[in-house]
Amino acid sequence: MITALEVTNLVKCYGKRRALDGLTLRIPRYSVTGLVGSNGAGKTTLMMTVAGFLNPNSGQINLLGNGPFDADVHGGRFAILPQDSELPLTSCPLELLTHYGRLQGLSLQAAKKSASDMLEAVNLGDRANSPIRSLSHGMRKRIMAAQCFIGNPELILLDEPLNGLDPREAARMRSFIAKRRTEQTIVISSHNLNDIEQLCDHVAFVEHGKTVRFAPVDKITNKASILVYTLTGAPSDLPALEHVLGENGTLKFNPETHTLTCHYAEQAIPAAELNQRMIPSILSQCGLVTITQGSTLEEEYLKQSG
Amino acid sequence: MTQFIHVWRMTCYEWFDALRSRRALVALLLYMATSVGTMYWSISLLQKVEKELASVLLLPASENPGAIATTLWKSKPFQDIMRRVSKSNQVFNDIQGKNPVELIYAWLSFFYMPLLVVLIAANRIPEEMGSGAVRYIAFRTSRGAWVLGKFFGQISLIALAVIISGICAYGVARWRLGRYAPIEIVWNMAFWAVRAWIYSIPFVGLIMGLSLFTKSASKSTIFGILSLVGLAIITGITTFFKSGQGWQVILPYLAALFPSDYEMLLWRSSAQPLITGSIFLVTLGFTYLGIGYFFFKKRDL
Repeated sequence: MITALEVTNLVKCYGKRRALDGLTLRIPRYSVTGLVGSNGAGKTTLMMTVAGFLNPNSGQINLLGNGPFDADVHGGRFAILPQDSELPLTSCPLELLTHYGRLQGLSLQAAKKSASDMLEAVNLGDRANSPIRSLSHGMRKRIMAAQCFIGNPELILLDEPLNGLDPREAARMRSFIAKRRTEQTIVISSHNLNDIEQLCDHVAFVEHGKTVRFAPVDKITNKASILVYTLTGAPSDLPALEHVLGENGTLKFNPETHTLTCHYAEQAIPAAELNQRMIPSILSQCGLVTITQGSTLEEEYLKQSG
Repeated sequence: MTQFIHVWRMTCYEWFDALRSRRALVALLLYMATSVGTMYWSISLLQKVEKELASVLLLPASENPGAIATTLWKSKPFQDIMRRVSKSNQVFNDIQGKNPVELIYAWLSFFYMPLLVVLIAANRIPEEMGSGAVRYIAFRTSRGAWVLGKFFGQISLIALAVIISGICAYGVARWRLGRYAPIEIVWNMAFWAVRAWIYSIPFVGLIMGLSLFTKSASKSTIFGILSLVGLAIITGITTFFKSGQGWQVILPYLAALFPSDYEMLLWRSSAQPLITGSIFLVTLGFTYLGIGYFFFKKRDL
């Protein structure tokens, strides 16, 4: 696996409190990885330490294969949307983003174009020359996100990028990030697990300054091994359904939620084929409301965190 | 090389942003108003002194201040006053006979400079650290380039302040004194402006170096003011206890760490003391800033 970011045994203390307690993580290149964890778990501290804003007490950081953050090496190749950080209020978005682009080594023309494109992408093209202090919180947040993508850096860390956005702008931002899935490595920290599930292909659960689980989202949510059928009532002949499934998996019915959970192995039988076999048999016994593949990230997270 | 380019870009942006933010403009206008006011008041004072001295020395009085300056410079009591004010015979010899307008301008430029520096430079860095705005820069360039960009931005703003105040002060002098403030002294005033600007560099270094220790703009301003008070006290002590006996032996060494020790070198006319003073003051400025940066480069943003 080619990694964009490798963090090994990272420790960061605030006084006596260990915000990062030996955290280890490897982010694959060109992946979109979600960081999930409770408040104070260490997600923001991790991002700030990787960006060089905070000095770690111990541990190693390997950013884009060139060691810890160094402006000479990583300038222009890496970007971050830091949490709780205001942009300079007297600046105007276009001129500020152009300045950032220039610092990343872009020519004036390229920096202006990139800044302008990014402002259009976050739907703020018409406010390009308004002072930032005159913009709403959501608008500022969109500019903060836009600055990350100036000059197409290789690795981008986004700390709560959708926080404070209205539903329409949040959807636009999700789609903007999703489009960049294969071009850049993106790490997103969020408490909204639906967003993480939609946007990310990998997820890391961080608790008490440690990575407690890191895997592809599909694996964590068992997309390739669980099918859940929500029924209108209890099936009249469960053994008959088990017979249809045969050696390909196991069935379990929950009478409280009227859900029939099928554990199977995607390698042995694809979900589509399994459904072709199971659905007619289910419908012959009761009604079928929904079919869900795997569990949700939220369910898995809650299971993991107890 | 990239970092030098970043310093240049940060300086340009700092300049642009400081002027647009109006706060720097307010400080510039304040400095200009102070210069104009001081020049006006000094000319009035000069007029009074001249009249009194003229009556004491039995010289012909004049309605125009400065009209009898040449005669005044020749009078022994006036020479004694100026010798005491200039603190050194060499400085006295160098400024002797100069037009009072340029001396007033030189005095006010040097006198108000530390305060101007506190007004302009004290909160630029803490503001961005406190709001977190520095984080949008810190992954694009080095902390050193950011600090140096801010530093050069501030000293170039001070250059602008000195130029504007010089032009305005000359305007007032010309209005009050007419032909006794000839256009030729503009060149001399420009030279004093450059000296005052060089004198500002250690103060910018000191104030910005101190501001690297805090994320609070108001604390930084307080640090700046306290440091000026501290400098004044240290200067007073080193001037007062200069016998060189006992513990006082260390005082000249202590004094050498502060700008006041080199100030009068900038009042000299010959190149050698001027260059020496300038080198020491610029070095002090970078040293103060460097000490602050040494702490800042390791601190969490």
